[in-house]
Amino acid sequence: MSDDARRPTLARRARLRWDAARAQHVVVVPEGVLALSAEGAEVAALLDGRRSVTAVIDALAEAHPEAPREVIGDDVRDFVGRLVARGYVTLEAP
Amino acid sequence: MSDPPVALLAELTYRCPLRCAYCSNPTDWRDYGDELDTAVWSRVLREAAELGALHVHFSGGEPLLRDDLESLVRAARDAGLYTNLITSAWRVTRERLAALADAGLDHVQVSVQDSDAAHADALAGTAVHAHKLEAAREVKALGMALSVNAVLHQRNLARVGEIIALAESVGAERLELANTQWHGSALAHRDALMPDRETLARAQAVALAARARLRGTMDVIWVIPDWYEDAPRPCMDGWGRRFVTVIPTGVVLPCPGAHGLPGMVFDSVRDRPLGDIWREGADFQRYRGTGWMSPTCAGCERRDVDFGGCRCQAFALTGDAARTDPSCPKSPDHRLVRDLRRERPATAKEPGGPLYRIDIRRGPRAS
Repeated sequence: MSDDARRPTLARRARLRWDAARAQHVVVVPEGVLALSAEGAEVAALLDGRRSVTAVIDALAEAHPEAPREVIGDDVRDFVGRLVARGYVTLEAP
Repeated sequence: MSDPPVALLAELTYRCPLRCAYCSNPTDWRDYGDELDTAVWSRVLREAAELGALHVHFSGGEPLLRDDLESLVRAARDAGLYTNLITSAWRVTRERLAALADAGLDHVQVSVQDSDAAHADALAGTAVHAHKLEAAREVKALGMALSVNAVLHQRNLARVGEIIALAESVGAERLELANTQWHGSALAHRDALMPDRETLARAQAVALAARARLRGTMDVIWVIPDWYEDAPRPCMDGWGRRFVTVIPTGVVLPCPGAHGLPGMVFDSVRDRPLGDIWREGADFQRYRGTGWMSPTCAGCERRDVDFGGCRCQAFALTGDAARTDPSCPKSPDHRLVRDLRRERPATAKEPGGPLYRIDIRRGPRAS
């Protein structure tokens, strides 16, 4: 099974939101805040448990035809991997 | 210009059915009975969110003693805040936890006093340990995030490994191992609770090994006992910098321990909006930034790292809240800390008599 077939889901305890006071997207977690870049926020919004990693990359590649797909793919896997390591994203079987 | 606070610490009540000797609430906690009502708390929650707070920590005392906790959780969620309940879980039912989850509670932090019921209940002064573990499992079953918190001191440090195992067994995602800070009752019981260096070092080694082993499963947070460190604890991450505390009567403080400092103005949310107090209140300006610092702190390269340490500790030990925290080895008063800490384990068996939260009534507090 390819890891890209799995469906990343933002954990219930990790909430994506716009932080108006600091003009940035953040993921709020117990006793913590992860500040996101604009790109990170775009990826995070797609971690809905329905899309596979491949589908997330597809959606971003469509939205950003100027960006090479391999670069998008590496960025998404890196971003998701870091959130998985901290327990804020789970990877569901396809 | 001040940055917005990251979190509101909402101390809903100082009432508590437990009697933990390490309590940091004021020892005259019974005099804070004129508590804010639901409407004012709801406004404060909205004002905190508008100011830029992302988290609210409902604390106390025991916040479950407030019948309107569900309403306050809902108000906080409606305002966009991430909601955390810091509780002993005393007599909480499955139905109440479900109602809190339904109101939008994100995270529950359950305290434990020790690793087993005999030790834990002796410290709490009531039979509560077994119920805590049931409640913690229920928090998980309801889908809320779970932290376990244990305040550490001489009477439980040797069992830190068992406390870690207990937190794992209930499925906690976070474990706070918080060495006692010397305020309120804890300050009054300092001699009995003060850890010795050897016991502390062993516990720290266990905690740090567990942190490495459990990375990605359970965050193990070791809150340093600053009397034994090379640097002071960066109390509250700086005065009026990231945290705002509202106490049960509505007074707004930069730190929950600041009641005891002299010269405080004690602005209340009953009289002024929270944002005004945060930005302009005299209490918040007093030790914000670096302008107030003694030459020892002002000339130190760590002034923006540990912010001069803890103002309350500086006052408790030296009588001057603006002095360098004596827990800092650079403090001219550092000998005060050296004289009070325990370098060697006690040779005789520890006197194990009961030790409880101090309970002094002085008279009603102005709010």
